[in-house]
Amino acid sequence: MRPSAQRRQRSVRPESSDLGRKHRPDYWLVMLCAVLLAIGLIVVYAISPALSQAAHVSNNYYVGKQLLAIGLSIVAFIATSQIPLTTWRSYARPLLIFAGLATVIALLMPVNPAYPAHRWVRLGSFSFQSVELVKFAALIALAGFLAEQIKKNMLNDKARTFKPLMIALGVAGLFIAGPQALHTQSDLGSMGVLVAMFGTMCYVAGLPMKRLLMIVAVIAVSVVLLILPSAYRRERLMTFVHPASNCQDAGYQACQALIAVGSGGMIGLGLGRSVQAYGYLPEAANDSIFAIYAEKFGFIGSILLLGIFVAFFARLKSIAERAPDDFTRLLVIGVLAWLSVQAVINIGAMIGLLPLKGITLPFISYGGTSVVFVAAAVGLVFQVSRYTSYSVPRIASDLNKRRDHDDRRNGRRLRGAYHPDPGSRARA
Amino acid sequence: MALPITSNAAPAVKRMRLWYSFFMAIIVLFGVRLFYVQIIRYDHYKNAALSDQLKQYEIPARRGIIKAHDGDQILPIVLNQKLYTLYADPTYVKNPDGVAQKLGPIVGNKTDYATLLKTKKTRYVVLAKKISEQQSQQILALKFPGVGTIAQDYRTYPQGSLAAQLLGFVDDGGSGQYGIEQALNDPLKGKPGQLRAITDANGVPLAASQNNTQTAPQNGQDQVLTIDLAMQQQLETVLQKGVKDSKALSGSALILDPNTGAIKAMANSPTYDPARYSEVDNANDFQNAAVAKPIEVGSIMKALTTAAAIDQGVISPTTTYYDPSVWKVDGFKITNIEEDGGAGTRSITDLLNLSLNTGATWELMQMGGGTINQKGRDAWYGYLTKHFRFGQATGVEQGYEATGYIPLPAENGAGIDLTYANTSFGQALTATPLQMGAALSAVLNGGTYYQPHLIDQTIDATAKTTPVLPKVLARNVVAPKTSQAMIPLMQYVVAHHTIGPSFDQTKYIVGGKTGTAQIAKPSGGYHEDEFNGTYMGFVGGDKVQYVIVVFVERPTNGGYAGTAAAQPIFAGLAHMLINDSYVMPKTH
Repeated sequence: MRPSAQRRQRSVRPESSDLGRKHRPDYWLVMLCAVLLAIGLIVVYAISPALSQAAHVSNNYYVGKQLLAIGLSIVAFIATSQIPLTTWRSYARPLLIFAGLATVIALLMPVNPAYPAHRWVRLGSFSFQSVELVKFAALIALAGFLAEQIKKNMLNDKARTFKPLMIALGVAGLFIAGPQALHTQSDLGSMGVLVAMFGTMCYVAGLPMKRLLMIVAVIAVSVVLLILPSAYRRERLMTFVHPASNCQDAGYQACQALIAVGSGGMIGLGLGRSVQAYGYLPEAANDSIFAIYAEKFGFIGSILLLGIFVAFFARLKSIAERAPDDFTRLLVIGVLAWLSVQAVINIGAMIGLLPLKGITLPFISYGGTSVVFVAAAVGLVFQVSRYTSYSVPRIASDLNKRRDHDDRRNGRRLRGAYHPDPGSRARA
Repeated sequence: MALPITSNAAPAVKRMRLWYSFFMAIIVLFGVRLFYVQIIRYDHYKNAALSDQLKQYEIPARRGIIKAHDGDQILPIVLNQKLYTLYADPTYVKNPDGVAQKLGPIVGNKTDYATLLKTKKTRYVVLAKKISEQQSQQILALKFPGVGTIAQDYRTYPQGSLAAQLLGFVDDGGSGQYGIEQALNDPLKGKPGQLRAITDANGVPLAASQNNTQTAPQNGQDQVLTIDLAMQQQLETVLQKGVKDSKALSGSALILDPNTGAIKAMANSPTYDPARYSEVDNANDFQNAAVAKPIEVGSIMKALTTAAAIDQGVISPTTTYYDPSVWKVDGFKITNIEEDGGAGTRSITDLLNLSLNTGATWELMQMGGGTINQKGRDAWYGYLTKHFRFGQATGVEQGYEATGYIPLPAENGAGIDLTYANTSFGQALTATPLQMGAALSAVLNGGTYYQPHLIDQTIDATAKTTPVLPKVLARNVVAPKTSQAMIPLMQYVVAHHTIGPSFDQTKYIVGGKTGTAQIAKPSGGYHEDEFNGTYMGFVGGDKVQYVIVVFVERPTNGGYAGTAAAQPIFAGLAHMLINDSYVMPKTH
C-alpha cells in the first residue's frame, strides 16, 4: 500500500464542506458496541477463575486488564469520532508508514517461545499486535486512494490503479502472511481479514470484475503456495478436512471447540458453569471465546449473539448506503468487511465450518489491541453517521418498494437521525 | 431535499447489497450449523464432553492407628502423618540450576536436583519423598513453575522399631504388609469414599456441578493391642542380648497370658525399623518368625507328651519305669545324651529334667499299651492335632502365619513308628513358638485352648470402643487334674537346672522345659553339630499367669542349645515379670 500512497497527490485533499451539514449521529451503533463489549467482559469475568488459576495470577487480573482495554478503546473511539475525517484521510500515509515500521519492529522483537510468531510489539509492560494497526491504517489509506481514483475517473486505469493495489497487497502479504522460515508474522488469519477488506472495498468502489477476478486468482495461488511449505498449516487444513481423525494432536482445539459448542445444548450450562474453559479448550478467552459463550448460553444465546452482530453490521450497511461521498462509503464498507469477515472466520472455526485461524472475535475476545482498534474503526463510522444523507441512492430494484419502506416506522428509523424538522422528534 | 450524491453511489450500493446478501447467507448458514451442533447432535457432544470431563476419584479413608497398653495407659504405637512428595515437570522448569540451588537448603542436598530437573524425556520426576508440610509450603511459596508437592499419608512409629515385625508396615500403595498391618488391612484401611466429579483438564474437581456424586469415606478402625509396651521393650532387650551372647543367627521370644490367650509381648531378633522398611535387604527380616516360621521344636515337646500320657491315664505323675537308655525302632536306635547316665529306673520328673528321649518314647508306647503301634500313634496324633491344635493356624492377627506339620499316624511302610517316636520328643514334626505357647497355656490353665490374639479392643470412626473377648477354640484339652499335675513337674525342671539368680518358688511358681532341637538337612537326615535351642515355661503365683516360649537359631556358644542359649533368655524374662510386678505372688 505504501507505493500507492506515495504516488498520491497531496493537493487533492477533499474539503470538509463536502460532507454537508452535521446532524445527530447513530447512537444505535454505540449501544450495540457497548452490548457486545459487555457480553465479552461478562464471559471473561465468568471464566477468569479458570484463566487465573492456570496462569497463577490474581482472580481480577483478566477482568482488570480487559476493563483497562475498554477504557483505552473509549479514548480511541472519542479520538476517531471527533478528529475530522479529512484529517484522518490526510494523515493516512504517515499512519501507514508507522504501521509498516511497527510490523518490522515486531519481526525484530524476541518472541515468546510459547507463541513463536513475530506478531507483537513490546514497549515495557505494554504490548500490541502490529497487524491491528496495519488494518486500521490500510482501511483509511485504501478508502482515500480508491475515492481519489474514482474522482479522477481512473479506476479502470491498469497502470495507475490496478498495479499499485497489487503491489501493496503483495508487500502486505509478504510481511504478514509470509512463511515463518523468513521470520515474518505468518499470520494467515489476519491476512485473510486484510484481503477480504481490501477486496470488498475494491469491489464496492467499482473496480471492473475482470480485474477483481484476477486478484482472486493471484490470491488463490499465493494461498496454496503459502500453505504447502508449512507443515503446521497443512496439518491444520487436513484437520479441518477430517476433523475427527486427529482429536489428540493437531485437531485438539477444533474438537474441543465443537465439544464446547455442542455440549451447550439449547439453553447452555449457565454463566458460571463452563467446564471447557478449565484447561480443555485452548485460548478460551481469546480465539475460542465464542465456543465458551456457546457452552454457557446454548443455542438460544448463540443465535442471540449472532443477532446482535447482524444488527450491528446492518447499522454499518445502512450508514454505508447513505454515506455522503465515496471516501466515507468506502471507509464504512471497509470497517464492515473487516469486522464481519473477522467474526465469520472466528465463529466459523469454532463451529467446524472453517479451519482454525488465530484471530479474535471483535468486541468479545479478551485482548487489548483488538478491542482498541475495533473501537477506533467504529469511531470513524460514528463520525460518518453524522453526515449521512436522508435518502439512499435509488437503484432499479429499489424503485418499487421504496414507498412502502418510507411509511413504516422501521423504515423511518433506518434512515437515521436526520430529520427534515429537527424539532419534531423532541416534541413527539 | 436529498444531498448531492456522487455519480458512483448507485452502483456502489448495488454491489454493497450483493456483498451483504452473501454475508447474510453465511450468517444463516452459521445459524443452521449451530442448530445442528447444539440441538440435533447435542447428545453426542454432551457425551464427548463428559467422557473428557467426568472423572472418578477415590477419597482415601484415614487408616486406623495402632495403640498398645503401657501399664494403665493406652499409648499409640503406629500413627499417620501427612508427608509430601516433591516432584517436577521438567518441561515447565525454567533455570534448573537456580531452582536446584534454592531447593538444596530446604530439602537437603542428598540428590542432584539440577540433573533431575534437566531430564527432558519425562514430564514427572520425583525430587524428594517424605518432606514435611513446612518444607512443602516453603517450596510452594517460591512459586517455581513446574515444581509441586503431593500429600501422602505415611505411618510413623513413636516407639521406633519396637514390635516392628509384629506390626508390619504399610507399603507405598497403602497396603499393609506383614504383621498386624497385613492381617487387619481391611478394618485398618476402612472404606474409601467415591467422588464422581466434573474436573478441569488437570483432573482437579470443579466445585459446582450437578453431575458430581460423592460417598463419604469410612475411616479405618483403630486397634488397641494386648501388647504391654514396657514388657515388650524388656523382652526385646533380653532377647537381643541372649541372641548376641549365644552367638546365634536369630531368635524369637513371646509372653502369653494363658488364661485369655492375649499375647503380652512378642519379638524376634534381628529386627528392623518399619519407618525405613524400604532399606531392608533381606525380606526374612520382615517376618514375625514366632508365628511365621515353623521349626522342629525339640525336647520342649516332652512336656506336652507327658501331659497327653497323664491325661489318657496311661501314666501318672508319680509313675516310675525302667529305662533301657536305648530303644530300637524300625531298625534305628533312639538314645539319650551321655550325661543322662545309662539304663535304670526313672521317674517322670527325671524324664523331664534329664530330657530323656527314651522316656518320651516310652510314654508313646504306654499310649499304645506297651509298644509303638497304630493305637498309640492315633492317640498321640489326636492329642497333637485335636487337643493341642498343631498343624493348623491359630488365627492370630498376623500376616503369613504358618500351620506347621504333623505326620499322619497311618502305617505308611516308611518307618512311621520311628517317625512317631521322634515326634514324642519334638522331632519330625514342626510347630511355631506361638503354637507351642498356646498349647502349653491350655495344658496349664485347666484345659481351655484360647485363641492367641493381639487385639484387645477396637475403636471405630465414631470413637466407640469394642473389647475383643477371648475366644475359646477347644475345651477339655486336658483334664484339670492333668493341668494341676503338670505345674509341679515343670517347676521341678527349673528347680533342678542351674539358673542364676534362682527363683523363689515359695512366692512364685516358675516352671519350664528345655529343648535342643536337631536341625533337618534339606537333603535328609540331621546336622551333626548344629542345633536350635528352645525353651517353654511359665511364671505365676496362685495360678499360672504367663507362658513364655523362646527359640534361638543355631547358637554357637557351646553346651546344649536349650540350656546354654534359650534357658537364659527364659530366665531373664521370668525374672523381669517377677521384678517388675507383672506377676501376682502366691497368697497362700
